Amino acid sequence: MKYFKLPDLGEGLQEAEIVEWHIKPGEEIKTDQLLVSVETAKAIVEVPSPQDGIIQTLFGGPGDILHVGEPLVEYQGETQEDTGTVVGEMKPINENLNTSDDHFIIGSAHHRSAPQKRCTPAVRALAKRLNVDLAMVSASGSSGLITTEDVEKAHQMTTEKGEQFILRGVQRVMANNMTKAHEQVVQVTIHDDVDIHLWPEGTEITIRIARAIKTACDVEPNLNAWYDGNEMTLRPLKKVDLGIAVDTPDGLFVPILRNIGQRDQNDLSDGLNNLRQAVKNRKIPPSELIGGSITLSNYGTIAGRYGNPVVVPPTVAIIGAGVIRDAVVAFEGEVAIHRVLPLSLSFDHRPITGGEAGRFLKAMMNDLALEN
Amino acid sequence: MLTAKHQKNNFFSETVAEFNITYTQLINHLGESVHPLDEDLESQKLLSDLYKSMVFIRMFDKKAVALQRTGQLGTYPSSLGQEAIGVGIGHAMNKDDVFAPYYRDHAIHYLRGVSLADMLLYWGGDERGNIISNAPQFDLPNCVPIATQITHAAGIASALKIRNEKKAVVTTCGDGATSRGDFYEPLNLAGAWQLPMVIVVNNNQWAISVPREIQTAAETIAQKAIAAGIPGEQVDGNDALAVYSVVDKALKKARAGKGPTLIEAVTYRLSDHTTADDATRYRSPEALNKGWEMEPVKRLQTFLHNKNGWGPEQEREWIAECDKKIAEGVDEYLNMPEAPPEDNFNYLYAELPYTMKEQRDHMIAKAERLNAANASNDSNDSNKREA
Amino acid sequence: MTSLPPLKKTLVEAVNLALAHEMRRDESVVVLGEDVAANGGVFRATEGLKDEFGIRRVMDTPLAEALIGGVAVGMATQGLKPVAEIQFMGFIFAAMEHIICHAARMRNRTRGRLSCPMVIRAPYGGGIHAPEHHSESIEALFTHIPGLRVVVPSSPMRTYGLLLSAIRDPDPVIFLEPKRIYRASKQEVIDNGEALPLDVCFTLREGKDITLVTWGAMVQESLQAANQLAQKGISVEVIDLATLKPLDMETILHSVEKTGRCVIVHEAARTNGVGAEIAAQLAEKGLLYLQAPVKRITGYDTPMPYFKYEHYYMIHVDEIVRGIEETLAYG
Repeated sequence: MKYFKLPDLGEGLQEAEIVEWHIKPGEEIKTDQLLVSVETAKAIVEVPSPQDGIIQTLFGGPGDILHVGEPLVEYQGETQEDTGTVVGEMKPINENLNTSDDHFIIGSAHHRSAPQKRCTPAVRALAKRLNVDLAMVSASGSSGLITTEDVEKAHQMTTEKGEQFILRGVQRVMANNMTKAHEQVVQVTIHDDVDIHLWPEGTEITIRIARAIKTACDVEPNLNAWYDGNEMTLRPLKKVDLGIAVDTPDGLFVPILRNIGQRDQNDLSDGLNNLRQAVKNRKIPPSELIGGSITLSNYGTIAGRYGNPVVVPPTVAIIGAGVIRDAVVAFEGEVAIHRVLPLSLSFDHRPITGGEAGRFLKAMMNDLALEN
Repeated sequence: MLTAKHQKNNFFSETVAEFNITYTQLINHLGESVHPLDEDLESQKLLSDLYKSMVFIRMFDKKAVALQRTGQLGTYPSSLGQEAIGVGIGHAMNKDDVFAPYYRDHAIHYLRGVSLADMLLYWGGDERGNIISNAPQFDLPNCVPIATQITHAAGIASALKIRNEKKAVVTTCGDGATSRGDFYEPLNLAGAWQLPMVIVVNNNQWAISVPREIQTAAETIAQKAIAAGIPGEQVDGNDALAVYSVVDKALKKARAGKGPTLIEAVTYRLSDHTTADDATRYRSPEALNKGWEMEPVKRLQTFLHNKNGWGPEQEREWIAECDKKIAEGVDEYLNMPEAPPEDNFNYLYAELPYTMKEQRDHMIAKAERLNAANASNDSNDSNKREA
Repeated sequence: MTSLPPLKKTLVEAVNLALAHEMRRDESVVVLGEDVAANGGVFRATEGLKDEFGIRRVMDTPLAEALIGGVAVGMATQGLKPVAEIQFMGFIFAAMEHIICHAARMRNRTRGRLSCPMVIRAPYGGGIHAPEHHSESIEALFTHIPGLRVVVPSSPMRTYGLLLSAIRDPDPVIFLEPKRIYRASKQEVIDNGEALPLDVCFTLREGKDITLVTWGAMVQESLQAANQLAQKGISVEVIDLATLKPLDMETILHSVEKTGRCVIVHEAARTNGVGAEIAAQLAEKGLLYLQAPVKRITGYDTPMPYFKYEHYYMIHVDEIVRGIEETLAYG
């Protein structure tokens, strides 16, 4: 402190007379060192220094009367404490408060408004009580507001007709794709049978079909193409990337067997097996599921003779292969029982003609009819 | 002589401050000058200006009361009997002095250029009455919260002083206002800071129904200035010339940076407090009668007549002129089209925040509905009439 | 122009910095109040101003708060920009008449002819162990009044920017300084005269699980609570109102649209506090976003206790944490 004031002398005494100074201005002193002797009405009192320091000024000389609280000495170099307040205490809480908020945003932190199901808390509470999943309720209120009636109707349906579940993941993707395809594609399908009695035992069916597709693509390259219905442009593709529809417990996957034209049987076989494994193990990367140029749906592994598989844009053709059966055929003028493979070719009739499709199918059948 | 008892208590005190309060009157209630007047005060123009202004204000005031009684004006505080105060102040002020009124200052407003239509707009419940485009733009509008205008005047005077302007502010109030903190606090500041302000108290003896005698124990209101350390004086509030002269002196002093003055103008309220008040409930007819004996207009008329030969001819002429002017003003007021009600939003802040737009639109729509309903009611009425 | 070095300032020092800056920049800015000149203000907010600008512009007034309010009104109508200090918010009541009847209405009732570009500054809030009447938080009395602005800063840097805006604003501003954090921390404040906008909230901390709205000294506890909750994987968005009136609901609604839950924290008493207005508007305009009721964590509807018991009244970090967790657990 800067000023040391005459302290309380006790016993209600308010003033004292300076008798003798023990120190001089400029002198360096230590705590408790005696500063001055003062005389009160009762006795002579020695006043010690409350701190170390150098004396700047003495207030008064021998014989002067000082009152309690009046300055006695001034210390050099100190600054008088500033409490910085007139009531209470204003201690700094923490110089390094861990709440530093130097960075702030004026206004709101922007976020994209996600479309959410809109309903009031009361309706939400009702849905919870009735165990209704709001995500599956259709809204009848204005601006997509779900009403009490909507929730009650949904509950009634579930109770009477059974639960519904929302399509997710792969299933959801398929539903979306099929809807889009149906909206855009003008679909036509032609069917035929191929006599495969020449095939040796153990022939890999999918690989033979793949080869046949490649052959047909050479004959009618427009079926191995992408079509843009808005711009009305057709892009026949250089490579044949065959999408192979694979049925799994999780749903329909269509991994792509790339560039089947440049790969030999063994390579194709290995590739196909790898794809199948990857799909089964759900380890297929998304990149392997896009960019096919033409598709094969081998439903013959399960059931069905002829089919009408869906052409998914931007491709323009999809081949369906049914169950191989022993059929009665007319062979070289005689009745015979041969193994027969049913084929279906669906195509998008917007860019592709029936003639092209027919020739494509013919080319496939010719290739498939060969021994190998 | 100190008795033995006093000596024992060692008790002795001396006078440390005294004061006196002067009272100024130049023309008494009989219309006679009480002592020779200064040259400048004797000027014919000044005297007839003061007189004519009082006549005009009294006539306007009467018209305003009539408008209220016929439902064309809201509650209105008449200045009947108190015209000399406003007229004296109004003539003494410069246009670039600033005025902080209370609510009974019709004379001063008029003399400073406020149009009659604007005055009527205010009492007719329309904020446009405060725009007063022909009057000094820094004058404050009428003030309803009692005495608060005096505090504002202290602020205005502070601004004038800070900017070193050779101007002054005049503020007025009634005798009731002098009981309020907002009377004393700015007086005190005016003294402490030597502010260029003149405070004129219209002591018309009544604060609504509370008579002066029970408003304060102080013998004069003027002496309240002493407590604040500023000069205070009384003047005959029914003597327009005296009021003018005293205010003029105080203003010159203030403008010269010589500090504030409190002036108590002693008059009598010849009207009710406002048109909503009925003074017969608390005031005797005798007291009112007595008040009329002292009234300001007649005495100056007498003085003018004796001095300059002001006669019935001039009187008639002037009254006709006043009639015309007042009729024009009332016409303007009555024919004023309604202001857009959403103006109450448009002047809420310098710029209306987006948070308020919803409410403003709501009011606009509501106004349209109400006005459409009224219009169809009117046309229904007229249809009925025609049928 | 030489670049100004940033200085570390406390909140009250930031007030001083802003005042000095604006008084240099604009001659019409004047300061008045009790003990503001020679003593530099009991909290030193006006330290050094009298020495630099003289007693003509830095005025010690007599002890009369109504006077201070009314004189500021009078000055402001004449084109000065008075910044009046009321020593403690608890003493502002005498000036209410001038604030409400006059300052808030002058522009409106003169249709723009006269206006009141004035600021009333007051230290406010509890928590410094002061004697009674020195710990008031009555901001809601002012936010109720049409024509006023009410601004409450929460950090030294924002105090500087907001006070500049308040002084420059052409309408009256009640600038309430949370005295508990007057010296709580230091922050770099660049004396560049850059003002922060009024009428808008500040998002101090981005989050996605819940929105916490607060102002003033409670910002400290709120940020601490948010930090604690972050350890538990709860992400709290903290919004500082800054301007209590006009209330920027857009920012709050936009946040609650994202988080679906809201907690409001204010030291002031509960009933009809500013939190009530926010909650009402959230119900009006944000009902469809809400996953849980809006929770207000507030002071009690009692006077601030004498300081020995103050800590029972003040809101602690754990109360905020608990309030947020309860709101998140709702439903």
